[in-house]
Amino acid sequence: MGETHMKRRTFLKLAGGTALAGSLARPALAQQVTVKWWYHFDNPQNTPAELVAKFEKENPGIKVQAEAIPWGGGNDYSTRMFASIVAGNAPDCAQVKLNNQARLMEMDALAPLDDYLKGWAGRSDIADNIWTLNRASNGKQYYLPLHYVVLYLYYRTDMMAKAPATTEEFLAAAKAATKGDVYGFGMRGGGGGQDNWGAFVLGGGANFSKGGMVSEKALAANRWYVGLAREHKVVPPSAPADGFRQIVDGFKAGRSAMIIHHIGSSAEMVAALGDKVSAAPVPATPGAKGWTQFGDESNAVFASSKNKDAAFKWISFLSTGENNAALAKLSGQLPIANSAAASWKGHEKRFVDASVASLPIAGVLPDSPKTADFATTVWPQNMQRALLGQISPDDMMKAIETHFNG
Amino acid sequence: MTPTRTAGGNAREAVTPYLFLLPALLVTLAVVLVPVAQTMWMSLHDYVLFRPKNVPFIGLGNFARLLKDEVFWISLANSAWWIGLVVSLQFALGLVTALLLNQSFWWRGLARGLIIIPWALPSVIIGLTWTWMYDFNVGVLNDVLLRFGIVEKPVAWLAQPGTAFYSIVLALIWQGFPFFAVTILAGLQTIPDELLEAAEIDGATRFQRLRSVILPSIAGVIGTALLLRTIWVANSLDVILVMTGGGPGFATHTLPLYAFLKAYSGMEFGYGSALALVLTLLLLAVVFVYVRRQSRELGR
Amino acid sequence: MIDRRSRLQKFVEVEIPVLLIALFAIGPYVWMMLTSIKTDADIAAFPVRYLPTQVTFEHYRMLLERTTFSGNLLNSFIVALGACTLGLGVSIPAAYGFSRFRFPGRRVLMTQFLVINMFPIVLIIIPLFVLMRQMGLLDTVLGIVLGHSTFAIPFSIWMLTSYMNAIPGELDEAARIDGASRLQTLRLVILPVVLPGIVTTGIYIFVTSWNEYLFAMMLSGQNVRTVTVALQLFIGEFTVQWGLLTAGGTLIAIPVTILFLLVQKRLVGGLTAGAVKS
Repeated sequence: MGETHMKRRTFLKLAGGTALAGSLARPALAQQVTVKWWYHFDNPQNTPAELVAKFEKENPGIKVQAEAIPWGGGNDYSTRMFASIVAGNAPDCAQVKLNNQARLMEMDALAPLDDYLKGWAGRSDIADNIWTLNRASNGKQYYLPLHYVVLYLYYRTDMMAKAPATTEEFLAAAKAATKGDVYGFGMRGGGGGQDNWGAFVLGGGANFSKGGMVSEKALAANRWYVGLAREHKVVPPSAPADGFRQIVDGFKAGRSAMIIHHIGSSAEMVAALGDKVSAAPVPATPGAKGWTQFGDESNAVFASSKNKDAAFKWISFLSTGENNAALAKLSGQLPIANSAAASWKGHEKRFVDASVASLPIAGVLPDSPKTADFATTVWPQNMQRALLGQISPDDMMKAIETHFNG
Repeated sequence: MTPTRTAGGNAREAVTPYLFLLPALLVTLAVVLVPVAQTMWMSLHDYVLFRPKNVPFIGLGNFARLLKDEVFWISLANSAWWIGLVVSLQFALGLVTALLLNQSFWWRGLARGLIIIPWALPSVIIGLTWTWMYDFNVGVLNDVLLRFGIVEKPVAWLAQPGTAFYSIVLALIWQGFPFFAVTILAGLQTIPDELLEAAEIDGATRFQRLRSVILPSIAGVIGTALLLRTIWVANSLDVILVMTGGGPGFATHTLPLYAFLKAYSGMEFGYGSALALVLTLLLLAVVFVYVRRQSRELGR
Repeated sequence: MIDRRSRLQKFVEVEIPVLLIALFAIGPYVWMMLTSIKTDADIAAFPVRYLPTQVTFEHYRMLLERTTFSGNLLNSFIVALGACTLGLGVSIPAAYGFSRFRFPGRRVLMTQFLVINMFPIVLIIIPLFVLMRQMGLLDTVLGIVLGHSTFAIPFSIWMLTSYMNAIPGELDEAARIDGASRLQTLRLVILPVVLPGIVTTGIYIFVTSWNEYLFAMMLSGQNVRTVTVALQLFIGEFTVQWGLLTAGGTLIAIPVTILFLLVQKRLVGGLTAGAVKS
């Protein structure tokens, strides 16, 4: 008996200080912990089961419980998330969007990740500007980027020689393409359409700081944008109600020559139109910086989690190299890790190129508790009324200004 | 009216109705009372969900704000028009269907099964399917109308304020008329055949029989069904939410939808609760009139 | 009742209108069904392709093999059945109480049940979520059954009360004179006569629960996910899985329709009349 005891001790000694120190630093891992993670994929046939298995194999002692939550236009997912935070049974970590970050922070619901990130090897594999976009207003990092999309311009190569580079060329191309049942631009005027509007109006000089929506430049850009529908009529009459489904369907059906969307719809576009569709960054307004929506997807660890270390392990695993690529294949978006992006084959090259070329002007809506409401109600209501001529384009901008700075 | 009587049997008789009610009361109150009480509390506060530490009491502030809120009045007017239109048309179609399905013909069983289908589908599916059928480019409705030459250009059904509202009303009629059909059909079974035969012997035409025998016999069931449906339609928002989200502009905003958007998109639960309470009070007024009328009838 | 109309007259006056109404009722459903058996290329085709160029059951196969749909169907069935049992179990006595007794507070209590339904349930969902968590009922069948029966019970009580009111009071008085207790009267005399009403109410609760999404979405998790929640998973952020969605929508209506076909025979005339006679 004494001998075996002796042997074990010797073994421990031989195993060396590093292993021991490692296990001391992570005492929680001595027993089994379960990490609850919420996600949403567009295709319910895809499950993260393989990634979970791989992670659990690499990290004995941690179990991952992945739960798909219905997206429901964003409403259901966030309602469920906020309700569970209020009720005190939030998961350990979850997929999150930037437009909820400010609200989650006000509730003290998020755990800052800065300390974890310092020691994480994958950090430098994600571009600096993406870290900047995801940084919270207090300078801390709560969101760990997971994958992304960028909005760009889809155009019909058989209807125009090249993609319009400026707003002037855009209008000319839209006018030329509008005939009969075909419209030049499939504008998204329904919910979520601020990503179309932003390309021209935020890109044309409007911004969210005080007075930023009612400056001369901003008003002019918005008048021009509403004018596409009311004055030039290069936009289908269904625009006020159209969401992403309708603009993509219309484009696939050949009823519009250009739309603004992202790589998520490229596969079905190619299936319907083959080589007749290509993509380019959104047209630039002369004399302005330009802007396009960065479609973010990140993971965050909740402050209420009792297994923050393990939760971070899991979400950082998902943002690392090949895991990140595997997850992006399931979600249909682009991987965030550079090493994964380099060999990315999940989408056709011309759409990846257009996405990457759009990154320099890619931005996000302001990190404010008012942003989510702006996107889901304030913008669509006022845009639709302006498109229908119920209010003037300037009134629309005043309403947005009041919402943020009123 | 006095439950305490001398005889023990009478006292027991007096509590009997309450015993019959007890299980239902317990189940509903346990689940609903606390949340509704909480909502009332919220309506008196400036309660914003993401600001749990700062919830000032503002008394009737939310209600005062609501009176000055243009969208509230638009939504209220839309709601009134919406309830009137949807309920009356659902009822009319449901009544006709029930009367027809009460006749005997060889495929009656099948017909009864088929008409229940719209009611057997979840609202989300209904909303998406109808949105898809109404689609400007790929919708089947525009396609059919174009093929038959009824319209020359496709119609943007859900994008124009003039058509969006009625397009949703049609979808709702489709969804809800089976409820009336089934309820009234069940009510028709309680009419004794003797009554109808007597009327027929008296030489009443079929229309006269409908008016003076059938309708009065099922008036109670019809009244209740109308009342319940009014409440249901007044509170339902899921189909609108899926189809237009209240747009274009405020064209399809109804009161519960507005309360929902305020609560979940704006996270202003205080204001959303106040909107919901106003809706409840308005409905209560309608119900009160109905209950008074009905209990007078029953008290005969 | 003796029908003296000729066959032709009946065809024109009854069968043709019924046919039109049935076509209206099933039109969108048929469209959904057709879509579900088309290939993805056919679904996306423009202009609209009415009939599939090639019939495929691929979407159904994927739905049942690659997703949790069949398990969700079962969950929904259990929940709807549970809501039905609980709902009818407490509503029948309550309706009997309202219909056959006059007691202080009757009107207030009846109105009270309606008030529950007058409140838009979406607004109580977060307090309810917190409550269910405190009771430990999140992600359990009982939790969802409770949620569903809560808003089905008031409707059921009112419907059943109105059906019971239609039954002559002499019926139970006769039974009482014969020495039956209240419960016996309810069970032996009222229930058989009001059966069409009970069937209708049962269908009502079943359908309401079967179709309910919001409560099911909030109160269920991985364990008791219902079919409406599963269907919602096909509507993603960037894409809608039309094939899966329409296949799911087609399947979801079938159990309710079959159920109704089975019980509709109970909705035949003469029940009350016969009872009064005997």
